Order: sequence, then C-alpha cells, then structure tokens
Amino acid sequence: MEKIAAAVRERAKRALATGEVDRVFAWKRGEFWYDVTPAVFETADETDELLWDSFCVANLSKYLTGAVRQGFKVGVFVKGCDALAFNQLLQDNRISRENVRLFGLPCPGMVDPEKLKKAKRYRGVRAVARAGDVLALQGKHGEQQVEAPAYLYDKCLVCRHPNPVVYDELLAEPQPVRTPDSDRFALVNELEAMSAEEKFLFWQEQFDKCIRCNACRNICPACSCEKCIFDNGESGVAAKANADSCEEQFFHLIRAYHVAGRCVDCGECSRVCPAGIPLHLLNRKIIKDIQAIYGDYEAGLDPNVPAPLATYRLDDADPFDGHQKGGKK
Amino acid sequence: MKKIAKDRLPELLQKMAEAGKVYAPVNKGGKTNFSVWQPGDAADLTTLRSAVPAKSVLFPQSETYLRFAQQGKKLSIETVGGEADEYVLFGVRACDAKSFALLDKVFLSEPVDQFYASRRELGTVVAVACREPEDACFCRAFDIAADAPAGADVCVWDTGDDLFWLVQTEKGERLTARLAGLLEDAGAADDAALPALQAQIRAQLDELPLAALVAEKKHQALKQLFDDEQWLACSESCLGCGTCTYVCPTCHCYDIQDYDTGTGTERSRCWDSCMFSDFTQMAHGNPRKTQKERFRQRFMHKLVYYPNNYNEIACVGCGRCLEACPVNMNIVKVMKKIGGEAR
Repeated sequence: MEKIAAAVRERAKRALATGEVDRVFAWKRGEFWYDVTPAVFETADETDELLWDSFCVANLSKYLTGAVRQGFKVGVFVKGCDALAFNQLLQDNRISRENVRLFGLPCPGMVDPEKLKKAKRYRGVRAVARAGDVLALQGKHGEQQVEAPAYLYDKCLVCRHPNPVVYDELLAEPQPVRTPDSDRFALVNELEAMSAEEKFLFWQEQFDKCIRCNACRNICPACSCEKCIFDNGESGVAAKANADSCEEQFFHLIRAYHVAGRCVDCGECSRVCPAGIPLHLLNRKIIKDIQAIYGDYEAGLDPNVPAPLATYRLDDADPFDGHQKGGKK
Repeated sequence: MKKIAKDRLPELLQKMAEAGKVYAPVNKGGKTNFSVWQPGDAADLTTLRSAVPAKSVLFPQSETYLRFAQQGKKLSIETVGGEADEYVLFGVRACDAKSFALLDKVFLSEPVDQFYASRRELGTVVAVACREPEDACFCRAFDIAADAPAGADVCVWDTGDDLFWLVQTEKGERLTARLAGLLEDAGAADDAALPALQAQIRAQLDELPLAALVAEKKHQALKQLFDDEQWLACSESCLGCGTCTYVCPTCHCYDIQDYDTGTGTERSRCWDSCMFSDFTQMAHGNPRKTQKERFRQRFMHKLVYYPNNYNEIACVGCGRCLEACPVNMNIVKVMKKIGGEAR
C-alpha cells in the first residue's frame, strides 16, 4: 500500500505542478495513526502531506459539489464507494463531469480503529503499515502482524465495488470482491423476520440515541439538497430540539425515503453516526425491495441508466400486487 | 479511604437510588451514555467516554422551561424545568468533571441560569479515574489529572477487583454516610496500592500520541487571530454537521423556541451548534454565511473568546471530537495551525 501511496502523491503533485487541475481533493496525515482528514491541495509543495493508507475511509466526492460550482478544475481520488457516490452526484446534477479529473484507487477495505480497540490491539500503536491483507501494527515495543479482514469496517467486508466504477485513470491493480452481494442483506433479512412490534422496539432503541447532529445527512452523497427541510425554521419541526423520539423517527425515515433509489450504499451514514445507529439498514432494506420489485438496479453504477423510482413505465411492477404488503400480521 | 468489591457495584447503585435519581453510564443499543440508572442496568465503567458528555445531565440537550396558557383574558405562566430533588451523577471522568467547572463560569455568572444552578446544587458527582486512557485523550494539556479527578464530590478508582472510594467534599461525605453499610474501610495495603495505580495511569498518559501537546492561551491580537488565513484551509474539510459541538463537554450554546401545543404554548431550549447554517440566523440574515465563519466561531470561542473572559481554554481534552468527527478535523489540528505556532 505504501508503494501505491507514493504513486498517489506523485500523481497529485504532477497534476498541480502542470496546471492540469487547480485543486486536488485527497487525504492528509493527521496527529496520529488513524487520524486522517480529507483536505484540499492547491500547490504541488503541499502534497508531501498527502496520504493513502488504511484509514482513508472518508468519501471525497461530496466535496466536489462546492468546488465544481466555483468553477475550479479539480482532481479527486475515488475508491469504489466514492466512485458510486460520484456517479450519483452526476445523475442528480450536482456536479459536472468535465471539470473533474478522477483518479481511481482500487480499495483493499478500510480499517476500523474501533475494532482494533475492541480486540485490544490498539494500545501503543504508532503506525499501521499494510501489505495486502496483512496489517503491521507498529508500536514502541515492536511490530505485530494481524490479518486485515478482522479489522475492516463492516461496510468494507460486504463491499461489492472495491474498484472504482468510473475513473479517468486507475492508480493500482484491481482488488478482488470479498463476499457475494447477498451477504450485505443478512441483517436486513434478520430485521424482516421480526414482528412489527419487535421492529418498532429495535428502531425505537436505536433512534433514541440520536442527537440530531446531522452527520448522517451531511456526509451522504445522496443528500445534496441546497437547503434541507430540517434546516428550515418555518417547517414547524423541532429539528434541533431532540424533544421527543417521534421527531428522530421522522427525521431518519424521511431521509431514508428521500434517498431511496439514490442511496449507493456507501455505508458512510452508519460509520459517522456518533450514536452508533445502524442507519444503512434502512437504506439497504429499500435497496433490497427496489431490486425485488424493479429488477437489478444499482444506484451510482451508471448515471445514464434511468432510476426505477424516478421513471414510470407501463409495465412497472405494482408493489402492492404480489409483493409483500406492510402492516401488522 | 473506603472501598467496595467491584461486583457489588449494583448494590451500591441500588442503595444510592433509594434516596433519589442516579445517573450512571449505561450501554443502550450499543452506546454508553449517562441515563437514569434502573435496577438491572449494568453501569459501564469500562467505556472511557460516554458518546454524549456528562454535561447532558446538568444541561440537557432539550428542556422545556415555561408553559403559557390563556384562559379568557388571563395568561398563566408556569415555570417548569430544572431539578427539584437531590440526585447522584456517578461515573464521571476527570475531563467531564472539569467541564462542569468551565460551564459553571458561564451559567452561574449573573444572570444565573436557575435550571443549571438547581442541577448543580442538587447533584452529587462521583468521578472515576481513567484506568486506560486512549490515543485521542489529551486532558493533560489542560492540567487535568485523569488519575486523580478534581472537582467531584467523591473520587473512585477501579482496581479491577475493587472500587476505591475517596471523599472530596461535604456532599460526598453525606453520600458516603448513606452508603455506610456497603462501603468498608480500606486497609493499609489499599492505601499503598492507590499511589501505585495512579503512577501506572500517569505512565500511560506519558505514552499517548498527544502527550506533548501544549495548550496555551493565544497571545496574538484578536483581530490577527480572527483574520488568520488558516481558517479557510482548516474549515474546507468540515461537513457542517453538529457532531463536534454535541459531543463536546464544554460547548454550551443553546437556542430557544416556542411551541404551540394546541392547548397552550411551551418555551423550550435546546443545544445549538455554531456549525449549523441557522446558527445566529436573525431577521436581517446571518452574519456567518459560510462554513468558514461557522467553523471559526467554534474554535475562536474555545481558544480565544472564552479564555479572554475566563482566563482558561474551553477544552478539556476528552478527545470526543477527535473520535467522532466524520472527517477527523478537530481542535488539536486547529490549535496547532491558528496563530502560527506549530508544536
């Protein structure tokens, strides 16, 4: 991974030095081993701080909405999930393709520091090097090697597009897909098997933890409204007040329905939630249903394929006829 | 010093709960937060930081404080909110305990915030030393002793087998007296074990990645700091969510709103976040139009405005924002960039 990181740095440096782009969106080294921040690079000199490692999990595509609007030519690094997000932003007319140079990065899956912490592998680590699926945890008292898959984000373990689905150039060899696509619906299946009462209690406990920080919304590449209804003081909802659990439930369900058919299942909502709410399960349930009703469709795969929920066809399936109906059983 | 076997903690909490509410860190739905302890709840002393800071007990995220109702020509106004009975806040870490002292300076200055004041007065705070500080911790930069929490009524140390219990104040004395049947006197061996445990904690603090961080009041002129060109670079990655402010033990801005309940009106307040686009939204518009200004507000408040008023930085180094920010932009990075003194 270090070799690829050098190539990534070199490519960004060249793009800025030659004037190919005005700005590069990439990741920057932080204060310690898992502290990586998305950053904008404007000169070739700054790129020494540019980073590609196991902690570059943050999606850079959404930053393009601002930069492209300002008329900059930008370069951006995209992993598989970031590329899906990029395509979705294109399809939603939030960015334009021509001013963007896409550097594709096949992704081996990103490491979740929480998992290292839980496994007691965390203490004393100063740096993490990686070769394939072997992580070398380097500390003051030497190096410890562990298998990466045990410590990847859950979302990376069921990743179906480790390789960018759109790019101008690819900076590394493609990565294999780890698991069959059906695996990502395992938890959705468990939820579906619950009674209506159990489902309600499950989500109530989860939504009760919500602090209304809007991290899920702001990181979401499908949440690209110029002004969100929940930021509208005239809307009559207590967006900030966290006043009763009803509001949290409305917020998350409205958001899930608003991104329905546009969610690329990047999993960022759940990753960033400071309350640990498995928000992606709402979206995944909808994705599963869309596939069941309208056939294979994957948001973000190809911006030229019409989205089933935004397209009416005479031979569309009728979800209320034949598909499982809601309500109490 | 007193002590109790760690496996008898539920009995201890039960005994405390007989006299009033006990707030303790409890894991619900996968996250540990302070909530009113119920029999059967397991207090979580392993998780270092609650997801939401302990300030939520003193200063709840949302609180209704007035009810109005109109009957004919008569308007009735009822004050609600605040705390009416004594309670215990158990399991606060040194950083959160220090945050109370910082919040006090704001809420207990004239005009005193009576809801905050009531909670402060009626609460007995039991702090727990941090046995295993984590990489994002930097409390020592603010002279906070994770091995010996200050500002609490009782200090507790988790030895693994026992909880050592050391009274700090009169309030703590009263709580201890109520628990007389459960707490036993610590022996000479325990008295010797405590400094060893503290030394062990301090040795861990020495090893943390941010151990060398120096947090000093910025000495540059206000205007110079305000105009620092680094604000743009630092804020460019900011998503504008409110995570850092809501997980921050020292953030204390709030918004006030009136609600029509159908039969009357309620006035409530809730935590606000300077990161939000409607923060300081006024009739004429908003003085902070872009994320750069909002971002700058947060850190100027912590690192400049609050210190100018109270001579202390409004940060306790708990590390929550380092862990929770979706893009890992945080106060440590800002402290190093702004004012041009990289350390």
